[in-house]
Amino acid sequence: MSLREKIKAGRFVVTAELGPPQSCNGDVIRKKAVHFRNGVDGVNITDNQTGIVRLSSIASAKILLEEGLEPIIQVTCRDRNRIAIQSDLLGGCALGIENVLCLTGDHQRFGNHPESKGVFDLDSIQLIATVRGMVEGSFLSGEKMKKAPDFFVGGASNPFADPLEFRVLRLAKKIRAGAQFIQTQPVFDLGRFGEWMDGVRKLGLHNRVAILAGVMPVKSAKALRYMKEEVPGVRIDGEYIRRMEESEEPRDEGVKIAVEVIQELKRIEGIKGIHIMPVMWESITPRVVEESGLLDK
Amino acid sequence: MSGKSFPFRLATLEKRKPTPAERFLSTTMLLLENLVKVPLFRCQRCGECILSHTAFICSQRCPKRLRNGPCGGTGEGGTCEVFPERKCIWFLIHRRARLLGRISLLNRVENIHNWNLEKTSAWLNVFTKRIEPPVIFVRKKDRYESEREN
Repeated sequence: MSLREKIKAGRFVVTAELGPPQSCNGDVIRKKAVHFRNGVDGVNITDNQTGIVRLSSIASAKILLEEGLEPIIQVTCRDRNRIAIQSDLLGGCALGIENVLCLTGDHQRFGNHPESKGVFDLDSIQLIATVRGMVEGSFLSGEKMKKAPDFFVGGASNPFADPLEFRVLRLAKKIRAGAQFIQTQPVFDLGRFGEWMDGVRKLGLHNRVAILAGVMPVKSAKALRYMKEEVPGVRIDGEYIRRMEESEEPRDEGVKIAVEVIQELKRIEGIKGIHIMPVMWESITPRVVEESGLLDK
Repeated sequence: MSGKSFPFRLATLEKRKPTPAERFLSTTMLLLENLVKVPLFRCQRCGECILSHTAFICSQRCPKRLRNGPCGGTGEGGTCEVFPERKCIWFLIHRRARLLGRISLLNRVENIHNWNLEKTSAWLNVFTKRIEPPVIFVRKKDRYESEREN
Protein backbone atom coordinates (compact mmCIF):
# COMPACT_ATOMS: atom_id res chain seq x y z
CA MET A 1 0.00 0.00 0.00
CA SER A 2 1.44 3.35 -0.93
CA LEU A 3 1.38 6.45 1.24
CA ARG A 4 -1.37 7.94 -0.90
CA GLU A 5 -3.56 4.85 -0.52
CA LYS A 6 -2.98 4.71 3.23
CA ILE A 7 -4.01 8.34 3.62
CA LYS A 8 -7.03 7.79 1.41
CA ALA A 9 -8.03 4.77 3.48
CA GLY A 10 -7.96 6.97 6.57
CA ARG A 11 -5.04 5.30 8.27
CA PHE A 12 -2.88 7.28 10.67
CA VAL A 13 0.41 7.59 8.79
CA VAL A 14 3.98 8.21 9.89
CA THR A 15 6.61 9.88 7.74
CA ALA A 16 10.20 10.59 8.70
CA GLU A 17 13.00 12.69 7.38
CA LEU A 18 16.39 11.63 6.05
CA GLY A 19 19.23 14.01 5.26
CA PRO A 20 21.52 12.86 2.43
CA PRO A 21 25.30 13.05 3.05
CA GLN A 22 27.61 15.84 1.92
CA SER A 23 29.48 13.36 -0.26
CA CYS A 24 28.81 10.84 -3.02
CA ASN A 25 28.66 7.93 -0.57
CA GLY A 26 25.33 6.23 -1.22
CA ASP A 27 25.98 3.69 1.54
CA VAL A 28 25.24 6.39 4.11
CA ILE A 29 21.66 6.44 2.82
CA ARG A 30 21.45 2.64 2.77
CA LYS A 31 22.62 2.56 6.40
CA LYS A 32 20.18 5.24 7.49
CA ALA A 33 17.36 3.51 5.59
CA VAL A 34 17.49 0.62 8.09
CA HIS A 35 15.98 2.89 10.77
CA PHE A 36 12.88 3.52 8.68
CA ARG A 37 11.94 -0.09 7.95
CA ASN A 38 9.29 -0.45 10.63
CA GLY A 39 6.27 1.72 11.09
CA VAL A 40 7.35 4.50 8.74
CA ASP A 41 5.13 4.94 5.67
CA GLY A 42 7.15 7.51 3.78
CA VAL A 43 10.66 8.94 3.99
CA ASN A 44 11.26 12.59 3.18
CA ILE A 45 14.54 13.35 1.49
CA THR A 46 15.71 16.89 1.96
CA ASP A 47 16.77 18.95 -1.05
CA ASN A 48 20.07 20.63 -0.08
CA GLN A 49 18.64 21.64 3.27
CA THR A 50 19.63 25.11 4.53
CA GLY A 51 21.51 25.67 1.28
CA ILE A 52 24.26 23.15 2.01
CA VAL A 53 25.31 21.03 -0.95
CA ARG A 54 24.32 17.41 -0.44
CA LEU A 55 23.65 14.30 -2.50
CA SER A 56 20.65 15.06 -4.69
CA SER A 57 17.24 14.18 -3.33
CA ILE A 58 16.14 12.31 -6.45
CA ALA A 59 19.27 10.15 -6.49
CA SER A 60 18.80 9.41 -2.78
CA ALA A 61 15.17 8.56 -3.44
CA LYS A 62 16.22 6.02 -6.04
CA ILE A 63 18.50 4.36 -3.47
CA LEU A 64 15.61 4.24 -0.99
CA LEU A 65 13.35 2.68 -3.63
CA GLU A 66 15.96 -0.02 -4.15
CA GLU A 67 15.91 -0.58 -0.37
CA GLY A 68 12.17 -1.09 -0.55
CA LEU A 69 11.12 2.16 1.15
CA GLU A 70 8.75 4.81 -0.11
CA PRO A 71 10.50 8.16 -0.67
CA ILE A 72 8.97 11.62 -0.61
CA ILE A 73 11.26 13.97 -2.51
CA GLN A 74 11.48 17.55 -1.38
CA VAL A 75 11.71 20.07 -4.20
CA THR A 76 12.78 23.63 -3.46
CA CYS A 77 12.58 26.71 -5.64
CA ARG A 78 15.92 28.08 -4.53
CA ASP A 79 18.21 26.25 -6.93
CA ARG A 80 16.20 25.60 -10.05
CA ASN A 81 14.00 27.52 -12.42
CA ARG A 82 10.76 26.23 -13.91
CA ILE A 83 12.59 24.38 -16.71
CA ALA A 84 14.91 22.44 -14.39
CA ILE A 85 12.18 21.67 -11.85
CA GLN A 86 9.84 20.22 -14.47
CA SER A 87 12.69 18.25 -16.02
CA ASP A 88 13.76 16.82 -12.64
CA LEU A 89 10.19 15.87 -11.83
CA LEU A 90 9.85 13.97 -15.10
CA GLY A 91 13.09 12.19 -14.26
CA GLY A 92 11.86 11.42 -10.75
CA CYS A 93 8.67 9.94 -12.12
CA ALA A 94 10.61 7.77 -14.56
CA LEU A 95 12.59 6.39 -11.60
CA GLY A 96 9.40 5.45 -9.78
CA ILE A 97 9.07 8.33 -7.31
CA GLU A 98 5.46 9.01 -6.36
CA ASN A 99 5.51 11.65 -3.66
CA VAL A 100 6.65 15.25 -3.98
CA LEU A 101 6.86 17.85 -1.25
CA CYS A 102 6.95 21.38 -2.66
CA LEU A 103 8.89 23.98 -0.69
CA THR A 104 10.11 27.51 -1.25
CA GLY A 105 13.48 26.60 0.24
CA ASP A 106 15.81 28.23 2.72
CA HIS A 107 17.65 31.28 1.52
CA GLN A 108 21.14 30.52 0.16
CA ARG A 109 22.62 32.99 2.63
CA PHE A 110 22.46 30.33 5.38
CA GLY A 111 24.30 27.64 3.43
CA ASN A 112 27.88 26.94 2.53
CA HIS A 113 27.65 28.91 -0.72
CA PRO A 114 26.20 32.18 0.53
CA GLU A 115 27.39 34.11 -2.52
CA SER A 116 25.31 32.05 -4.95
CA LYS A 117 22.32 33.37 -6.86
CA GLY A 118 18.98 32.37 -5.42
CA VAL A 119 16.61 31.45 -8.23
CA PHE A 120 13.12 31.60 -6.67
CA ASP A 121 11.56 31.55 -10.12
CA LEU A 122 8.44 30.01 -8.60
CA ASP A 123 7.27 29.98 -4.99
CA SER A 124 5.97 26.96 -3.12
CA ILE A 125 2.32 27.65 -3.96
CA GLN A 126 3.05 28.10 -7.65
CA LEU A 127 5.22 24.98 -7.52
CA ILE A 128 2.32 22.96 -6.10
CA ALA A 129 0.11 24.24 -8.92
CA THR A 130 2.82 23.40 -11.44
CA VAL A 131 3.16 19.81 -10.24
CA ARG A 132 -0.60 19.37 -10.21
CA GLY A 133 -0.71 20.73 -13.74
CA MET A 134 1.87 18.14 -14.77
CA VAL A 135 -0.19 15.40 -13.14
CA GLU A 136 -3.09 16.58 -15.27
CA GLY A 137 -0.88 16.29 -18.32
CA SER A 138 0.38 19.75 -19.20
CA PHE A 139 3.61 21.64 -18.81
CA LEU A 140 3.70 25.11 -17.35
CA SER A 141 3.77 26.46 -20.90
CA GLY A 142 0.40 24.86 -21.54
CA GLU A 143 1.84 22.23 -23.86
CA LYS A 144 0.53 18.72 -23.37
CA MET A 145 2.79 15.81 -22.50
CA LYS A 146 2.35 12.29 -23.84
CA LYS A 147 2.54 10.53 -20.49
CA ALA A 148 1.65 12.44 -17.36
CA PRO A 149 3.53 11.73 -14.12
CA ASP A 150 1.37 10.55 -11.25
CA PHE A 151 2.51 12.44 -8.19
CA PHE A 152 1.05 12.75 -4.73
CA VAL A 153 1.67 16.42 -4.06
CA GLY A 154 2.35 17.94 -0.68
CA GLY A 155 3.31 21.23 0.88
CA ALA A 156 4.70 22.43 4.17
CA SER A 157 3.18 24.72 6.73
CA ASN A 158 4.70 26.53 9.66
CA PRO A 159 2.07 27.15 12.35
CA PHE A 160 4.62 28.88 14.56
CA ALA A 161 5.75 31.79 12.41
CA ASP A 162 3.99 35.12 12.65
CA PRO A 163 1.35 36.25 11.83
CA LEU A 164 -0.86 33.31 12.79
CA GLU A 165 -3.82 34.42 10.68
CA PHE A 166 -1.68 34.53 7.54
CA ARG A 167 -0.43 30.99 8.23
CA VAL A 168 -3.96 29.59 8.01
CA LEU A 169 -4.67 31.73 4.95
CA ARG A 170 -1.53 30.46 3.27
CA LEU A 171 -2.49 26.86 4.02
CA ALA A 172 -5.82 27.55 2.32
CA LYS A 173 -3.95 28.91 -0.70
CA LYS A 174 -1.78 25.79 -0.86
CA ILE A 175 -4.89 23.62 -0.81
CA ARG A 176 -6.47 25.71 -3.54
CA ALA A 177 -3.29 25.31 -5.60
CA GLY A 178 -3.71 21.54 -5.24
CA ALA A 179 -1.81 20.27 -2.19
CA GLN A 180 -2.93 16.81 -1.09
CA PHE A 181 -0.93 16.51 2.11
CA ILE A 182 0.74 18.99 4.44
CA GLN A 183 3.70 18.44 6.73
CA THR A 184 4.19 20.98 9.51
CA GLN A 185 7.31 22.29 11.17
CA PRO A 186 8.20 20.48 14.43
CA VAL A 187 5.80 21.09 17.29
CA PHE A 188 7.38 22.28 20.53
CA ASP A 189 4.51 24.56 21.50
CA LEU A 190 1.24 22.69 21.69
CA GLY A 191 -0.70 25.81 22.68
CA ARG A 192 0.19 27.67 19.52
CA PHE A 193 -0.33 24.55 17.42
CA GLY A 194 -3.81 24.20 18.90
CA GLU A 195 -4.63 27.79 18.01
CA TRP A 196 -3.52 27.18 14.44
CA MET A 197 -5.58 23.99 14.24
CA ASP A 198 -8.61 25.90 15.51
CA GLY A 199 -8.22 28.27 12.58
CA VAL A 200 -7.77 25.34 10.22
CA ARG A 201 -10.87 23.56 11.49
CA LYS A 202 -12.93 26.74 11.37
CA LEU A 203 -12.40 26.86 7.61
CA GLY A 204 -12.82 23.10 7.25
CA LEU A 205 -9.35 22.79 5.73
CA HIS A 206 -8.57 19.59 7.67
CA ASN A 207 -11.17 17.76 5.60
CA ARG A 208 -9.60 18.79 2.32
CA VAL A 209 -5.97 17.92 3.03
CA ALA A 210 -4.10 15.40 5.17
CA ILE A 211 -2.19 17.27 7.85
CA LEU A 212 0.86 15.49 9.23
CA ALA A 213 2.19 17.19 12.36
CA GLY A 214 5.95 17.51 12.71
CA VAL A 215 7.79 16.11 15.73
CA MET A 216 11.50 16.44 16.40
CA PRO A 217 13.37 14.33 18.95
CA VAL A 218 16.35 16.35 20.25
CA LYS A 219 19.56 15.16 21.85
CA SER A 220 20.33 17.99 24.24
CA ALA A 221 19.12 21.20 25.83
CA LYS A 222 21.77 22.99 23.81
CA ALA A 223 20.16 21.89 20.56
CA LEU A 224 16.76 23.11 21.78
CA ARG A 225 18.16 26.45 22.87
CA TYR A 226 19.96 26.82 19.56
CA MET A 227 16.69 26.24 17.70
CA LYS A 228 14.86 28.76 19.85
CA GLU A 229 17.46 31.46 19.39
CA GLU A 230 18.94 30.88 15.96
CA VAL A 231 16.32 29.18 13.80
CA PRO A 232 13.66 31.66 12.67
CA GLY A 233 10.01 30.72 12.81
CA VAL A 234 10.41 28.16 15.61
CA ARG A 235 8.55 28.36 18.90
CA ILE A 236 9.67 26.30 21.88
CA ASP A 237 7.88 25.94 25.16
CA GLY A 238 10.33 26.97 27.94
CA GLU A 239 9.16 23.96 29.93
CA TYR A 240 10.80 21.56 27.46
CA ILE A 241 14.13 23.38 27.68
CA ARG A 242 13.98 23.27 31.48
CA ARG A 243 13.22 19.55 31.45
CA MET A 244 16.10 18.86 29.07
CA GLU A 245 18.48 20.89 31.22
CA GLU A 246 17.52 19.17 34.44
CA SER A 247 17.57 15.68 33.03
CA GLU A 248 20.59 13.48 33.66
CA GLU A 249 19.94 11.52 30.49
CA PRO A 250 19.04 14.27 28.02
CA ARG A 251 18.76 11.82 25.13
CA ASP A 252 16.12 9.76 26.95
CA GLU A 253 14.34 12.94 27.96
CA GLY A 254 14.35 14.08 24.31
CA VAL A 255 12.64 10.87 23.26
CA LYS A 256 10.21 11.16 26.16
CA ILE A 257 9.24 14.67 25.10
CA ALA A 258 8.78 13.57 21.47
CA VAL A 259 6.58 10.69 22.58
CA GLU A 260 4.48 12.96 24.80
CA VAL A 261 4.01 15.46 21.97
CA ILE A 262 2.95 12.65 19.62
CA GLN A 263 0.38 11.41 22.17
CA GLU A 264 -1.05 14.91 22.45
CA LEU A 265 -1.10 15.44 18.68
CA LYS A 266 -2.90 12.15 18.08
CA ARG A 267 -5.76 13.47 20.17
CA ILE A 268 -6.20 16.67 18.12
CA GLU A 269 -9.05 16.52 15.64
CA GLY A 270 -7.90 16.81 12.04
CA ILE A 271 -4.39 15.37 12.40
CA LYS A 272 -3.95 12.53 9.93
CA GLY A 273 -0.40 11.55 10.76
CA ILE A 274 2.97 12.35 12.25
CA HIS A 275 6.09 13.57 10.49
CA ILE A 276 9.22 12.73 12.49
CA MET A 277 12.24 14.95 11.86
CA PRO A 278 15.24 13.42 13.61
CA VAL A 279 17.84 15.86 12.28
CA MET A 280 21.24 14.07 12.31
CA TRP A 281 19.74 11.43 14.61
CA GLU A 282 17.91 9.06 12.24
CA SER A 283 18.75 6.05 14.44
CA ILE A 284 16.29 7.19 17.12
CA THR A 285 13.26 6.91 14.82
CA PRO A 286 12.39 3.25 15.59
CA ARG A 287 12.38 3.98 19.33
CA VAL A 288 10.14 7.03 18.97
CA VAL A 289 7.75 5.12 16.71
CA GLU A 290 7.60 2.18 19.08
CA GLU A 291 7.25 4.08 22.35
CA SER A 292 4.51 6.33 21.02
CA GLY A 293 2.47 3.32 19.92
CA LEU A 294 2.56 4.18 16.23
CA LEU A 295 3.55 0.65 15.23
CA ASP A 296 0.11 -0.86 15.65
CA LYS A 297 -2.04 1.81 14.09
CA MET B 1 -0.48 30.63 -23.36
CA SER B 2 -3.40 29.32 -21.45
CA GLY B 3 -2.67 26.09 -19.65
CA LYS B 4 -6.23 25.25 -18.77
CA SER B 5 -5.37 23.20 -15.73
CA PHE B 6 -3.50 26.06 -14.05
CA PRO B 7 -5.19 28.54 -11.79
CA PHE B 8 -3.21 31.35 -13.36
CA ARG B 9 -2.31 32.82 -16.74
CA LEU B 10 1.10 33.67 -18.08
CA ALA B 11 1.51 37.09 -19.63
CA THR B 12 3.30 37.08 -22.97
CA LEU B 13 5.30 39.55 -24.98
CA GLU B 14 4.42 40.22 -28.57
CA LYS B 15 6.70 38.71 -31.14
CA ARG B 16 6.91 41.66 -33.56
CA LYS B 17 9.37 44.53 -33.24
CA PRO B 18 8.00 47.66 -31.58
CA THR B 19 7.71 50.83 -33.70
CA PRO B 20 9.74 53.92 -32.67
CA ALA B 21 6.55 55.53 -31.39
CA GLU B 22 5.79 52.53 -29.19
CA ARG B 23 9.32 52.50 -27.87
CA PHE B 24 9.08 56.17 -27.00
CA LEU B 25 5.77 55.60 -25.27
CA SER B 26 7.06 52.68 -23.21
CA THR B 27 10.22 54.52 -22.15
CA THR B 28 8.24 57.59 -21.11
CA MET B 29 5.66 55.53 -19.25
CA LEU B 30 8.39 53.62 -17.47
CA LEU B 31 10.04 56.87 -16.42
CA LEU B 32 6.77 58.31 -15.13
CA GLU B 33 5.88 55.10 -13.35
CA ASN B 34 9.28 54.89 -11.68
CA LEU B 35 9.04 58.51 -10.57
CA VAL B 36 5.79 57.71 -8.78
CA LYS B 37 6.18 54.11 -7.63
CA VAL B 38 9.81 53.88 -6.61
CA PRO B 39 9.72 56.61 -3.93
CA LEU B 40 6.12 55.87 -2.86
CA PHE B 41 6.13 52.07 -2.66
CA ARG B 42 9.82 51.20 -3.01
CA CYS B 43 8.80 49.55 -6.28
CA GLN B 44 11.23 46.91 -7.51
CA ARG B 45 10.05 47.31 -11.13
CA CYS B 46 8.95 43.73 -11.76
CA GLY B 47 6.58 44.93 -14.49
CA GLU B 48 3.82 42.64 -13.26
CA CYS B 49 2.44 44.84 -10.53
CA ILE B 50 0.41 43.27 -7.72
CA LEU B 51 0.63 46.28 -5.39
CA SER B 52 -3.15 46.51 -5.20
CA HIS B 53 -3.39 42.93 -3.90
CA THR B 54 -0.69 43.46 -1.31
CA ALA B 55 -2.15 46.50 0.42
CA PHE B 56 0.11 48.88 -1.56
CA ILE B 57 3.39 47.54 -0.17
CA CYS B 58 5.72 46.13 -2.82
CA SER B 59 6.05 42.39 -2.12
CA GLN B 60 9.13 42.17 -4.33
CA ARG B 61 11.24 43.64 -1.55
CA CYS B 62 11.20 40.14 -0.05
CA PRO B 63 14.69 38.56 -0.44
CA LYS B 64 13.05 35.50 -1.99
CA ARG B 65 10.77 37.73 -4.09
CA LEU B 66 7.75 35.73 -2.98
CA ARG B 67 4.46 36.74 -4.56
CA ASN B 68 2.11 34.53 -2.56
CA GLY B 69 2.75 35.21 1.09
CA PRO B 70 5.52 34.77 3.66
CA CYS B 71 7.93 31.85 3.79
CA GLY B 72 8.15 29.80 6.97
CA GLY B 73 10.97 31.85 8.42
CA THR B 74 9.17 34.87 9.80
CA GLY B 75 10.48 35.32 13.32
CA GLU B 76 8.63 36.36 16.46
CA GLY B 77 7.36 39.91 16.04
CA GLY B 78 7.66 39.61 12.27
CA THR B 79 11.39 39.73 11.56
CA CYS B 80 12.81 38.64 8.21
CA GLU B 81 14.62 35.31 8.23
CA VAL B 82 17.32 36.44 5.81
CA PHE B 83 17.98 39.90 7.21
CA PRO B 84 16.95 39.83 10.88
CA GLU B 85 17.33 43.59 11.16
CA ARG B 86 14.44 44.03 8.71
CA LYS B 87 10.74 43.33 9.08
CA CYS B 88 9.27 40.56 6.97
CA ILE B 89 7.58 42.37 4.12
CA TRP B 90 4.62 40.00 4.24
CA PHE B 91 4.18 40.72 7.92
CA LEU B 92 3.83 44.42 7.04
CA ILE B 93 1.52 43.60 4.13
CA HIS B 94 -0.73 41.52 6.36
CA ARG B 95 -0.87 44.26 9.00
CA ARG B 96 -1.79 46.92 6.50
CA ALA B 97 -4.22 44.67 4.62
CA ARG B 98 -6.10 44.14 7.87
CA LEU B 99 -6.12 47.87 8.48
CA LEU B 100 -7.42 48.66 5.00
CA GLY B 101 -9.86 45.74 4.85
CA ARG B 102 -8.02 44.13 1.94
CA ILE B 103 -7.34 40.71 3.47
CA SER B 104 -9.53 38.92 0.92
CA LEU B 105 -7.11 39.98 -1.83
CA LEU B 106 -4.34 38.01 -0.14
CA ASN B 107 -6.31 34.85 -0.92
CA ARG B 108 -5.51 35.01 -4.60
CA VAL B 109 -3.00 32.54 -6.00
CA GLU B 110 -0.78 34.99 -7.87
CA ASN B 111 0.43 34.29 -11.40
CA ILE B 112 3.91 32.91 -11.93
CA HIS B 113 6.11 35.87 -12.69
CA ASN B 114 6.89 36.51 -16.35
CA TRP B 115 10.53 37.57 -16.23
CA ASN B 116 10.20 39.08 -19.70
CA LEU B 117 8.20 41.86 -18.11
CA GLU B 118 10.99 42.76 -15.70
CA LYS B 119 11.84 46.49 -15.97
CA THR B 120 8.86 47.27 -18.18
CA SER B 121 6.02 49.63 -17.35
CA ALA B 122 3.27 47.82 -15.47
CA TRP B 123 0.81 50.58 -16.35
CA LEU B 124 1.46 50.00 -20.02
CA ASN B 125 1.24 46.26 -19.45
CA VAL B 126 -2.21 46.69 -17.94
CA PHE B 127 -3.22 48.88 -20.85
CA THR B 128 -2.00 46.30 -23.40
CA LYS B 129 -3.71 43.53 -21.40
CA ARG B 130 -0.49 41.67 -20.66
CA ILE B 131 -1.32 41.70 -16.96
CA GLU B 132 -4.48 42.01 -14.92
CA PRO B 133 -5.69 45.48 -13.95
CA PRO B 134 -5.27 46.50 -10.29
CA VAL B 135 -8.12 46.01 -7.84
CA ILE B 136 -8.86 49.45 -6.44
CA PHE B 137 -12.02 48.87 -4.45
CA VAL B 138 -12.93 45.88 -2.34
CA ARG B 139 -16.61 45.20 -1.88
CA LYS B 140 -17.74 45.93 1.63
CA LYS B 141 -18.87 42.40 2.36
CA ASP B 142 -15.50 40.98 1.27
CA ARG B 143 -13.42 43.36 3.30
CA TYR B 144 -12.65 41.38 6.41
CA GLU B 145 -13.32 37.93 5.07
CA SER B 146 -10.11 35.97 5.22
CA GLU B 147 -11.28 32.94 3.28
CA ARG B 148 -13.93 32.61 0.67
CA GLU B 149 -15.06 29.23 -0.58
CA ASN B 150 -16.52 28.90 -4.04
